Formats: sequence, structure tokens, C-alpha cells
Amino acid sequence: MSQQTIKVMQSRDLKRTTNKQTAGHAIGTVGIYIFLCIMALIVLFPFYWMVISSLKSLTEYRLSKPTFWPQTLLLSNYRDAFTTASLGRLFLNTAYVGIVSTLLSLVVTIITAFAFARLEFKGKNLLFAGLLATMMIPGELFTITNYLTVSSFGWINTFTALIVPFLVSVFYIYLLRQNFLQIPNELYLAAKVDGTSDWKYLWKVMVPLALPTLISITILKMMGAWNSYIWPRLVANDEAHRMVTNGLRNAFKDTSGEVNYPVQMAAVALVSAPLFMVFIFLRKYIMAGVSRSGIKG
Amino acid sequence: MKKLVSILLVLVLALALTPAMAEGPAYDGSEVTITFYNTMGTNLTPVLEKYIAVFEAMYPNIHVKYSSIGSYDDVRDQISTELSRVGIGTDANIAYCYPDHVALYNLYKAVRTLDEFIDSTAEVTRADGTTEIMGLTAEQKADFIEGYYNEGLQFGDGHMYTMPFSKSTEVLYYNKTFFEANGLEIPTTWDELEALCEKIVEIDPMSIPLGYDSEGNWFITMTEQLQSGYTSATEPHFLFNNETNQAFVKRFREWYQENYVTTATLYGAYTSGLFTSTGEIKSYMSIGSSAGASYQRPAKGADGQYPFEVGITTIPQADPENRKVISQGPSVCIFKKGNVQEEYASWLFVKFLTTDIDFQAEFSMASGYVPVIKSVNQNATYAEFVASADGGDHVTALSAKVCLEQEDAYYTSPAFNGSSTARDEVAGLITKCLTIGDDKDVDAEIQKAFEDAVAKCEYSL
Amino acid sequence: MVESKQQWKAWLYLAPAIVLLLIFTVWPIINTVRMAFLEDYSIAIASGGETSFRVSLGNFVKVAQYQDFLICLKNTVLLCVITVPVSTLLALLVAVALNAIKPLRRTLQTIFFLPYVTNSIAIGMVFAAMFNIVGSVGTRRPLIQTVGIINNVIQFFGGNYVNWINNGSSYWANMFVLIVYIVWNALPFKILILLGGLQSINKQYYEAAKVDSTPRWRVLWRITVPLLSPMIAYVVITGFIGGFKEYTSIVGIFGESLGPAHAPGRLNTMVGFIYEALEQHHQGRASAAALILFAIILVVTLINLQVSKKRVHY
Repeated sequence: MSQQTIKVMQSRDLKRTTNKQTAGHAIGTVGIYIFLCIMALIVLFPFYWMVISSLKSLTEYRLSKPTFWPQTLLLSNYRDAFTTASLGRLFLNTAYVGIVSTLLSLVVTIITAFAFARLEFKGKNLLFAGLLATMMIPGELFTITNYLTVSSFGWINTFTALIVPFLVSVFYIYLLRQNFLQIPNELYLAAKVDGTSDWKYLWKVMVPLALPTLISITILKMMGAWNSYIWPRLVANDEAHRMVTNGLRNAFKDTSGEVNYPVQMAAVALVSAPLFMVFIFLRKYIMAGVSRSGIKG
Repeated sequence: MKKLVSILLVLVLALALTPAMAEGPAYDGSEVTITFYNTMGTNLTPVLEKYIAVFEAMYPNIHVKYSSIGSYDDVRDQISTELSRVGIGTDANIAYCYPDHVALYNLYKAVRTLDEFIDSTAEVTRADGTTEIMGLTAEQKADFIEGYYNEGLQFGDGHMYTMPFSKSTEVLYYNKTFFEANGLEIPTTWDELEALCEKIVEIDPMSIPLGYDSEGNWFITMTEQLQSGYTSATEPHFLFNNETNQAFVKRFREWYQENYVTTATLYGAYTSGLFTSTGEIKSYMSIGSSAGASYQRPAKGADGQYPFEVGITTIPQADPENRKVISQGPSVCIFKKGNVQEEYASWLFVKFLTTDIDFQAEFSMASGYVPVIKSVNQNATYAEFVASADGGDHVTALSAKVCLEQEDAYYTSPAFNGSSTARDEVAGLITKCLTIGDDKDVDAEIQKAFEDAVAKCEYSL
Repeated sequence: MVESKQQWKAWLYLAPAIVLLLIFTVWPIINTVRMAFLEDYSIAIASGGETSFRVSLGNFVKVAQYQDFLICLKNTVLLCVITVPVSTLLALLVAVALNAIKPLRRTLQTIFFLPYVTNSIAIGMVFAAMFNIVGSVGTRRPLIQTVGIINNVIQFFGGNYVNWINNGSSYWANMFVLIVYIVWNALPFKILILLGGLQSINKQYYEAAKVDSTPRWRVLWRITVPLLSPMIAYVVITGFIGGFKEYTSIVGIFGESLGPAHAPGRLNTMVGFIYEALEQHHQGRASAAALILFAIILVVTLINLQVSKKRVHY
């Protein structure tokens, strides 16, 4: 074999590898789609199950062999759900608590996370460790003590009792702190040189940069209001303050006191729909990204 | 002398004519508001509201509020949390309860015993000027179904703590069409049941003849029927580890292994689903709550007919002469209050709901539970309801009818702190022992399971 | 001067959170500690007027004497150690993949938001449909109504059905289902957090990689992961803290019996024990168990923090 041929072969090999790379890229893209679709199916399945369950009759729901498509579509479940429970009232109560507690909670979370991420003070690390430690005790043990506290404040059957005790979440403070820490120090120091106050810097620079995380927190917090059951039942179970989950638990009992799950599912789907719309709307802001602001990463 | 005699005569007459001195506490007509915690859904609250109005018309100064709180356990958690407010206690005056809830409230020393009220002969005046005695008349007492009424006395100290509100029990549902077609007899004893299951499996090898919904009920009912000991309200509390009980569990294990019987946990779904199944694998008998009769009825076919007719009867017994069936469903208890008039008013309301024929009738028809008094048949609508009983459209009426006919058979278990743990443990015992494989030393495994269960119960104290 | 002004200001920022935490978190914790050291403390009995509870370690001894204590501990640790890495890795892959595609991006993103509005009862029901065998399992002549979707798939490919959660199922089959369930439950939240975190990464890094035609996996490993490390650390650390408190998922699949029919209680966890003690009104015992759990989580979190100190790039 001559030198020449070897060279040619070598160059051909080189070409092949680049070809291989583009082909690999395409296969990779297909792989990504397949992976995403499988995962999407997996996370979608319970949602699908909720929807079809809401259309089944109670008898069908109780069958030994679950059906994957309702034998008869019972749209009347939705009508029953709407008329049986005073959904309107429940919805308004929950929305009110959800919105107020989310807004207040965001403010508290932002300023606390800022203090931990950017300000220097004695005992910062110790305090933060202490904060983390509070997450490590199962919250069920707090219920009675908190009930006694709220009761001694005279907050039973008020929205205050539903909002205030859960305004501070170490979980979210920690999350936002992580995000704040990602924002380069140079920005902060530059702002300092410009004479921008901490307060202004926080709201003008850091909050916009952390928007995706803040929206995640908003979604989680709203969902919390929608799903909470035990605490609202304890502290505010009167008509004027009852929340969705509590209301739904009582409304759809059949004659023998058993819950009529299909109708309950219909009700859940009904009250969740507006929430989902809000999520879709907020999603845009999570995905909009913040790269345009030109921060490090 | 004559004068003295006549004076004496007058005195004697006077004494004879004055009614026996009224004794015991009485509501004095003062303004009170009482709150009733229950689990009623929107299907039942209209009935309650209607009768609250009737009651408030009789006693205009008593204002009754109610609060619907999720499940029975939710009511228990709500009240026990409220009770932890020392000096304030719960906001409830009256609450739906199961015996073990009351045992818990008793730790808080929060429940009013009812003996004093029941025995009170003091008179109370209604708005229309008529009167009633505060307590129960002999007639009213006798009207309660005995087994239900005695539940209030299960706390080991002889005091009455609760009044039965509305009840259910377990009944045997069977496929009447199948039974008649094959000339099968309805079983009255467990021995007959065993023979019957053998026969059914021969007729239809793809069947599991009997589905028993609740493992806990099964165990407890057997101990009651065999008088073999389950629990006691006084120490020692846990009596269920004995040879008789191990023997019946061993016998049931054989039945499970032979596909004669299954339970909800073992089957992996509602046993009513197995009973109403139109597929290849099905059961022909089902033991479940009398309040769930509509679940034991198959769905109508395309021709608008039920695939089979449902029959209902008393569950099999160890001794048919001394029948025992479980009593379930809510009772009500009354909480101690600073203002005794609230307690008295609460009692009047409880007495009204539990003894008023029309309320008991209407509530039973709306809820599927059975009334706690026998005279409920005097209500024309209820009598008509029971008379309409059949194995199809009116299966709930059929269930009610069977429940009323076995009024002598109801039992309740002792209530104490730890009674609900015992219940959970014996339910676990059933599934654990029935599933012991043939390759294992069955006796030893059963023995060990019983010992573990008792140890768990003791630990929970 | 400036120094002390900073100090003062920092505490001002922290004040609302600290006040609320003191009332609604620290105070209950103090109460928990108090109850843990009072022998046989029960709120019911205390409220009933009994005040003479002995100060002792009795509750801790009682917890250790629980016959299934070691089982609870083992299940807790196993579940946590397996599910946290698996769910984090999957969530990372989904988030990165979602970020990498153009067509269908919006639709897929929307789909990954749906779990947030799905009711938890529905999720429990789905699992019954997927893994539950309905019928007389493990008898001499098993009669099977349905073996569940997963087994249907296995049978479709010619395999034998697996007894996942029913009578006679093996411990690891049970664990497998639990792990799938927990990972599944944890995914949406983690995807959300990581997706949000990805948006904060400057696109320039990727463009540089594109020019170099660096393979995807290397971009992921060398650029994305390090830049995302604060969020990954967050997800892992909070995942461990939450993972040690696993309980509701077990009830979701196995019901209150916390195990398959032939072995009730086999899958109990530490928090399961705490629930049981609370249910039996042994607040002292429950508090003691909570403190033991706290000690375990604390150690693990300290290790996590130590590791993340070295690996996380802010």
C-alpha cells in the first residue's frame, strides 16, 4: 500500500466521522423526542385517569377490572358536581386564600432569600443551617401546637388562620437563595459603586433575574392552597371560609355515606381548570428565560 | 279522735294523689345554642335541617347548629384537637361517634354520661304548653333495638356514654337466581356454608363462592359467635389469642386455599365487584355492609333487566339459636359544658332525634342505614318502603327488612383505648394467616401471627 | 460603622420570616422536644388534668423497643437512597431535553404541567390499575380477574406476569413499585425547578459548544450540570429531607396495612411509626421518634452540604 492510498483512506475516515457526527446528532434528536414522549405519557396517565373517572358511573368505577374508556359517558357527573357542592363559593374562598398567601409569601421569601444570599451578618451560616433543620421534623407534630396558638389568637374561622401560619416556607427561601447566589457578585458590586441601595437592587435587578424561580414558587404555593385539607378543616370549616378540598369531601357522598368518586373527580377537574389556565399563562414567563439580561449563569 | 282520723285520711289521700316527686335535671327554658358535628353529606343535611326546625319550634330558645366534617375519623381528629384547648374544649355539644372515639374523649374527661338524663323524671315544658319528661319513658327505652342501645354501655364502668343514632350491620347477599336454578339452600351456619361452597365450586369451578368485605368484622364476629374472647374494656384487654380463635382462622385458611372465600384485601378490589361481575370469575355470595346494598346489585343489562336477582339474609352463624351480627354506624355523644343548660338542651335534641319515629324513618330511607327504634314501622312511608322490598330496584328496602328482622342478634365490642388497634391487628391476622402457603408449618405460623398481633396491641397501650 | 449598619439592615430583612418562624415552627419544635422527654406523654391525658409526667428517656427506649423499628429504619433509608438520585437524574434529562427541542416544545411543556392539577386520589387509582392483580392470588388454584396494565405489557412481550403488590409478592417487587410511584410523584416538581434553573443559564455557553460541535452528552455533563449545580444541589438536599419522611406513598399503594396481604406492616417507615403513635395518642413516643429521625436527616444533610460545597458553582 502506498503512502498516497493511506492518506486518502485517512481523509475518507475523517469525513466519515463528521458524517457520523451529524447522523449521531439527528439520531440524538429523535432519541430526545422518544424519551420526552414516553415521559410525557407516563406523567399524563394519572391525568387521563382522572378525566375518564369523572365520566364513569359509580358502578363502573367499582368494577374489579378497571375500564380504560367509560362504558357510558356520564356527562351528568359534571352537572351534579356543579349543583351539589356550592362550587362557586368554595372556589372564591380558595382563590382568595391562594392569591393573598402567594403574594405575601413571595414578598417574605424574596427579602429573606436576599438577606441570606447577599447581605453579610453575624451568624448567617448558623441561622441558615437552623432554618434547614426545621424542615427535618415531620410537620404533623406541629399541628396541635399551631392549632392552640391560632386559637389563642382568636383566629379560628378566619382567613388569617389559613394564610399567616404558612407564609414562611424554608423550602422556597432555600430555593430562591440558590437562584440569587447564581447572580454574579460583580453586578451587585457595580450597583454598589453606582450608589444603588440594596432595596432597589433587589427589586430592580435580582427579582427580574429570578423570575422563573419566582413563578415556580407561585405555582407550588397556589397548588398548596388548592390541595390543603387537614389544616383548613381544623381552623376554618364554616360556610364562609371553607376551602375546595374540604367542601368536596363532604358534598359527594352517596346514600351509604361513601364518597361518590366519579362526581368528586368531576368537581376536581372543574375547580382545577382555571388553575391550569393560569399555569399555562405563567409557563410563558418561566420559559421566556432571562438570558437577555446578560448574566453569567 | 275523729278529727285526727280525718286529718290523717286527708294526708294519706293527698300523698296518694300527688304524683311521685319529679327527680333529676331538667332544661329550664333558657336561651342556648348547641352545635352538632356529623359527617352528613348533602344528601342527608336537608333531612336534618327539616327536623331541626321541628325541634326548634318545640323549644324556641334552643338554637341548633351543625357542622359536616369529612369522615368519622375526621370528626374524631377535629374534636380531639379542639379538646386540647385546656379550659375551652370542643365547640361541639353533640357529635357523631364510634365507641373508640368516646374512649379517646374520655381521656380528656370531656364526655357527659347520660344515665342522669335518661333516668330524669323532671318535666320540661314545650312552646305549645305541653310537657314531656326529661328522661326516657319505659316505653321509649324498650323501643330501642337492644344491641344498638347497649353500645353506650360498653366502656367497662357501667355508665351510659352514647345513644345510637342510625345503624348498619353485615348481611349475606346471595345470587338468588343462581341459588334457585341449582336448588341450593341458603346457609345459616358456617358448616352449611362450607358444604355449600364445595358444591358451588363443583358447579362453577371458575367461581370464588363467597366474598367477605371486611376482615376485621369477620374475626370479631366469629369471636362473638363462638364466645371465645376478643377484647375486654378492663385489663387484661386483649383476649383473642386462644385455641378456638386459632382454630377458626386455620379453617378459613383452608377455605381460602380452596377458593371458597376471599376478602377485599386478598381479592385486591371491592368484593361487591366480584359478586356483581358478569365476567367468567365471580362469586355467588357476598358479606358486606347492609348500607351498601345498592353496590351488591348488578348493573342492568342492555335489555333493561338485572342479570340476576339479589337475595339478602342473616350472615352464617356458629350457633343459629344464639345469632350474632355486628352493629356498626354512628352513635352520638354529648360533651360537658360550663353551662349545664347546654348539656340539657343537647340531651333533649339527642332524645328527639333518636326517638322520633318520623325522623328515624326519613333519615333511614335517605341514608340506607337502619333506624334504631322498632316502632319506626308506624311511619306509613317507612312501612310502605319496607313492604316494597325486592331483589332488584328495591334492594335497599330488602336490606333494611333483613336488618329489622334480626333485631335480637346485634352485638357491640368493648370500647377502650387500644380497641381500634386491636381491630386493625385482627384484620391483619386474617389476611396474614389465610395466605400461609401449604409448604409452611401452618400451625406454627398461625401461632406466631397471633402472638405478634397481641404484642403489637400491648405496645400500643 | 458601615459594618454594623449592614448587620442591622440584614436583620430587618429577616425580621418578618423570623417572627413567623418563631411562632409557627420553632415553638412547635420546642413543644415536640418537651413531649419527647416526658415519659408516656399524651396530650389527651394532659388535657384531662394529669400533669405529673416523669422527665426521662423512656419514650426513646419505647421507640427502640418497637418490634418493627429496624424494619421502619431500613425501609426509610432504602427508599430515600434509591429514589432521590433516580428522580433527580430523570428530571434533569427531561428538563434538558425540553430545553433542547424546537418543534412541539410548547405542547410538551404544557403536558409536563398537567400533573399539578391532577388529584391525588386519581394517582392512587392509577396505580391500582397498573400493578394490582385482582383475583385469588396464591391459592392452590389461582383465579385471576386481571393482572394489571404493566403485566399485560410483560405478557405481550412473552413474559410471565409478576406479582407486584399482592399476596405472595416479594419484598423487592413491592419496593420496585414504591420506587416507581415515589419517583413519579417527585418528577413534576423537580422538572419545574430544573427547567426554571436552566433558563438562567446564558445561551452563549451553548453557542460556543455548538461551534466546537461538542457531543450532546458532553455539553450536558461539562456545561449544563455545573451551571445548574445550585439547583441540582437544592433538589437533592430537599429530596433527601423529604425522602426520609416518606409515608403517604406507601398508604397510597398498600393502604393502611402498609404491606401486601401476607405481610402487613412490612413496608412501614419512620414517619409511618410516628403516625401510628399519634393515632394512638402517644405524642411523647411520636416526638421521640421524630427527634431520632431528625438526627438521621441532620447527619445526611450535613454530608450533602459538605459534598455540594465542593461541587456547586455559583
